[in-house]
Amino acid sequence: MSAQRTAQEEDPVATLAEGLSIWVGKLSDLVKKVVDTGPIRNVINWARMYSLWPVNITTACCSAEFGAASGARHDLERFGVLPIGSLRQSDLIVIEGTITKKMAKRLRMIYDQMALPRYVIAMGDCAMSGGLFHDSYSIVNGAHEFVPVDVYVPGCPPRPEALEQAIIMLQEKIRRSKVYEQG
Amino acid sequence: MSAPPKPPPLTTVESTETSDSGAQTLTLSVGPQHSGSGHMRLIVEVDGDIIVNVAPDPGYVHRGIEKIIELRNIIKSIPVIERPSIIDASNLNHAWVRSIEEIQGVEVPRRGQYLRTLLNEMNRIMSHLYWLSIYGVFLGHTTMFMWPLGDRELFIDLAEKLTGARITYSYLVPGGVRRDLPPGFAEEAVKRTEYFEKRLKEYDRIFFNNPLFTSRAKGIGVLSREKAIELGCTGPTLRGSGVDADLRKDEPYAAYPELDFEISTRPDGDSFSRAMVHMDEMRESCKMIRQIVKKIPSGPIRRKAPIVLPRGVAYGRVESARGECSFYLIGEGGDKPYRARYITGSYRNMAAIPAVLLGNRLADMPTAWWSIDYWPVEADR
Repeated sequence: MSAQRTAQEEDPVATLAEGLSIWVGKLSDLVKKVVDTGPIRNVINWARMYSLWPVNITTACCSAEFGAASGARHDLERFGVLPIGSLRQSDLIVIEGTITKKMAKRLRMIYDQMALPRYVIAMGDCAMSGGLFHDSYSIVNGAHEFVPVDVYVPGCPPRPEALEQAIIMLQEKIRRSKVYEQG
Repeated sequence: MSAPPKPPPLTTVESTETSDSGAQTLTLSVGPQHSGSGHMRLIVEVDGDIIVNVAPDPGYVHRGIEKIIELRNIIKSIPVIERPSIIDASNLNHAWVRSIEEIQGVEVPRRGQYLRTLLNEMNRIMSHLYWLSIYGVFLGHTTMFMWPLGDRELFIDLAEKLTGARITYSYLVPGGVRRDLPPGFAEEAVKRTEYFEKRLKEYDRIFFNNPLFTSRAKGIGVLSREKAIELGCTGPTLRGSGVDADLRKDEPYAAYPELDFEISTRPDGDSFSRAMVHMDEMRESCKMIRQIVKKIPSGPIRRKAPIVLPRGVAYGRVESARGECSFYLIGEGGDKPYRARYITGSYRNMAAIPAVLLGNRLADMPTAWWSIDYWPVEADR
């Protein structure tokens, strides 16, 4: 392998390709700049903020309030939030409550499998800091210890209105952010 | 040229192996990231699409509550006790305060007993409605997801008027309850329960008499009477198998001896029977709520109880929405218990999961499994 590499380095065509790749890199920078400053950014962010599809993963008891928020009175679907079974099509993890050590591994695995951009809402006191169970032997004190968190929702459990507020805050965050720096 | 590297195995498929009969079986891991499992994992072995082996893998929500209780004051433990079954909080709370009162020898005033029963029955309706809405999701029936969650808000509003919280009340304290009935509560409760009974008829029309449900639930997930008793099942799962066992009648507590209600049992033991037991219980609970607000006696709601737990042993149990919930409590004279053993209905019904799934088709798994009303948070504690 090393012999091949040295041969390539001396090859004038390879040198040209290297130069070419630098040029291509500059073009991609140009594309990023155009996308991030023009109306294309607004269109992409508009599409992202109104199709936040959360993963079907429930970590603990806040799922009862997540269920109530998805239900008839609070209806999260009017914000574009529709729980989805497939990881590849989802953009959002709502961490619903206490994260045990057993679940934390799976949660990280799910986060890694999701396509970019991906967002995380930590719902409930337990997902923020351990909450009521902070001194338990089997839990992780806070979701930020293993995944980056976008919005925290305090409460034990938070009311559905608080979750709606969190969704709106996340949408506002997406609206203001640049296209290539999300997730 | 070496052979190309093998692709990594799919995450859901664990292994393929050959059983004794020579047929190839496949082991599937259902959950915890799955729309039909909740916070637990089922390791299902299928032959074709017939389920030949099921191993539940609980513990994803184990928070060590029994240990936490030992470190907290008995009053401060009340919110911790409620969290395992947040949709059925007051029933678990009731088991805890009953066992404390048994050690302390405190007697609760009759008005306090009635208020406890009132919140317990409202909680039972809310819990069953939540169960029903998830059943709708499992069967792909979105209307049945939206309707029960919408009607659940009727009772959540009532409970919020009474206690100040949506679903986690911490309403029952040793010696009584925290708050008295707010003005206008009785009329509102009667109005809402009567409206809800009309809604239950519509549920029957759209879901329980619908071939979409009946063809998938009748004869599926059969749990015989003997098997249910042998496995130690409890609550609606046991009554759906034709056993007439309910602590509210067998060992009456709080205001239940003074109320007129019936225990619903169904003899078949299939998914449909268990679902109908839930429906009947909601109707009975509506009747009970109306009786309570009519018959509730006047007087104090709370008697002064010490914060100290005297030396002694107690066993307090109640009928929660998912079956019998019990505490075995040992006091040693301080304000914390020496030991508290906590057993909930879902924990006992976990044994029934393999029994109802074996021999069914994989497509029938959601119907059979969710009819047990297994709430993983409550089972793991």
